[in-house]
Amino acid sequence: MSAMRVDAKVVMLGKESVGKTSLVERYVHHRFLVGPYQNTIGAAFVAKPIQVGEKVITLGIWDTAGSERYEAMSRIYYRGARAAVVCYDLTDSSSFQRAKFWVKELQNCEEHCKIYLCGTKSDMIEGDRSLRQIDYHDAQDFAEEIGAQYFETSSKTGKNVDELFQKVAEDYNSSAFQFMTEETGVDLGQKKDSYFYSCCHNN
Amino acid sequence: MDGETGKATASWESGLLAPVDRLRLDRADSPTPGLVEGTEPGAGQKSAIFYHAQSYEDLTAEAEKEAQRASEPHGSEGHDGEEFSTLVGKKSTEERLNSDTSSESRGKEEDVSSEAWRSHKKHVFVLSEAGKPIYTRYGTEEALSSTMGVMMALVSFVEAEKNIIRSIHADGCKVVFLTKSPLVLVGVSKTGQSEKELLRELQYIYYQIVSLLTLTQLNHIFQHKQNYDLRRLLAGSEYLTDNLLRRLERDPGLLLSAVTCLPLASSARDVVSSSLQAAKAKNLVFSILLAGDRLVTLVRKKDQFLHHIDLHLVFNLVGSSSSFREGEGWTPICLPKFNTAGFFHAHISYLEPASELCLILVSTDREDFFNMSECKQRFMERLSKRSAYQAMKEALKCPNYSVAQVGIPELRHFLYKSKSSGLYTSPEFPEVYQSDEEQERLMGLYQDLHSCLHHPTRPLRSFYRCSEAENLLAWVTSGFELYLCFSPMSTKALAVSAVNKLLKWIRKEEDRLFILSPLTY
Repeated sequence: MSAMRVDAKVVMLGKESVGKTSLVERYVHHRFLVGPYQNTIGAAFVAKPIQVGEKVITLGIWDTAGSERYEAMSRIYYRGARAAVVCYDLTDSSSFQRAKFWVKELQNCEEHCKIYLCGTKSDMIEGDRSLRQIDYHDAQDFAEEIGAQYFETSSKTGKNVDELFQKVAEDYNSSAFQFMTEETGVDLGQKKDSYFYSCCHNN
Repeated sequence: MDGETGKATASWESGLLAPVDRLRLDRADSPTPGLVEGTEPGAGQKSAIFYHAQSYEDLTAEAEKEAQRASEPHGSEGHDGEEFSTLVGKKSTEERLNSDTSSESRGKEEDVSSEAWRSHKKHVFVLSEAGKPIYTRYGTEEALSSTMGVMMALVSFVEAEKNIIRSIHADGCKVVFLTKSPLVLVGVSKTGQSEKELLRELQYIYYQIVSLLTLTQLNHIFQHKQNYDLRRLLAGSEYLTDNLLRRLERDPGLLLSAVTCLPLASSARDVVSSSLQAAKAKNLVFSILLAGDRLVTLVRKKDQFLHHIDLHLVFNLVGSSSSFREGEGWTPICLPKFNTAGFFHAHISYLEPASELCLILVSTDREDFFNMSECKQRFMERLSKRSAYQAMKEALKCPNYSVAQVGIPELRHFLYKSKSSGLYTSPEFPEVYQSDEEQERLMGLYQDLHSCLHHPTRPLRSFYRCSEAENLLAWVTSGFELYLCFSPMSTKALAVSAVNKLLKWIRKEEDRLFILSPLTY
């Protein structure tokens, strides 16, 4: 019996149709699907191994639905996450407001979760600069303020996508050692099936 | 229409197909398949997968009770008629007004004041009891807010008289109302469908919305804020309702209240079922394996039954979205026929990236994702070691069969439903019904027959109908429902003898076409 081994839980958050699924799709499957927009139902989980130095780290990526309908459910996806990629659409200022909501939510509930602020669809503003609704420096300042890394990505061209997840994995790797020393040890009485659960929580 | 109804029934009963004895032993080689529920071809050996095999009635019973309640205390027919005619008059003037005012605020997709919008065969509207638009099949909700306001006014106006508005008949158009507090659903149809059929479709749409939100949440929302805009919560789900409406027009399963199976050798299906059965977990309630729109197998917790409506909602969810191809899906889903109050949590994933085979594991625990994921792993490991997996993939290459296999030259197409198992079988559409329009036309004919057989006050047991393009025969017994389509050159005598032959063929093939031994955990 082979169970999925996941090192770091990563959660994608953000308003609907900002392109969370496209980002994951580009990163995991190296493709960009054109066609009618399809919203994510609930959430989708993918495990992706990534090379960091000598080590291979498996990211367990939770791609959540942006729809308000699933908001009550979102906590189960970000609880215990080591990294959150909070996405907004560079051409839609309301999505930036929503990103701020998620940041606040994470700061309140998940202090150990590292935040990565991600402005998506950068190919669109490269084509037409007037489409940009959130200034680069405003986003950069906001990221600094909350202690987050800031990326501007394009799932269409692949720009900055690998870099984003590479950074997530590296940060996890450098903080993992520190975390391990904090752990109390192995609980032999722990039930087998709860093992799978805790392994992606790393706490 | 050239119909022969009452007389035909008599000839059926008088011996062409005598009821056979109910002994299970006779099952395989019974010369005339059973007319009694539980012995018909396709009837499961142990227990049904679904509850209420006769669920068409189950589905409409509620509406009928309401209708009865509505008609009992109040007024004579004449009074009602008068009332309706004034309402219709009002409506059309209001609509005219509306078309004048709304011409500026054009919808993105379609102009609701245009002739094209009006000429759609079937409109479906969902609104809140405050008259706020929630869904429209065509055009945008914003552009229709005044029209929906009028609809709500009609409902309230009749309610104020302690009555319930059921339908308006005008100008070749039926307007059907379904009040399911806190929602009101309205269907406007130019198809020949009966009121009952239209109500049934509205019920499906209602359940679709409940499956996304639960009734508890719906009630809660509207209790707190009567004029809440529900579209906020339903955002991104409109295509599920669109697709469900399309299915209602095209999928015989929704008409028959039944599900069809992937034709598969029973030995292979049994292995798949037992592999699923072995991959169980504490909170797992249903394991469902689908191949496109066809059921491969379904394993359920003992004493827990899945209703076919719930299963069709799951089919619709999976079939409408590519979201589950991306990774392993994990989504809350309410199965309204099981329980409108709460969510189940479904693990949805395809067995292989490009495969049609989709596994749905339904759990009661929202923290159960990794347990379900492990169940899938266990199932896959077990299955991949066995030849059944290959057999299943082979079966997928030809998921349907041709009517020619039955060996009745005049027979073009048929629908056969085993009532006790809630499963149906049907061959692929033949050459003459290849186009979408022709397929929809044939489905429309089946719908007509279906509503005659299930007429609320004068149900028929059989119905033979000749038309220019085809001859049709429908027959219902306590065991099965059968709809046949013959070439227009065929005769009634031929049709009658074909039934016998077809039932024998289905009996012979039943272990391939149906799930005869459903399993439980």
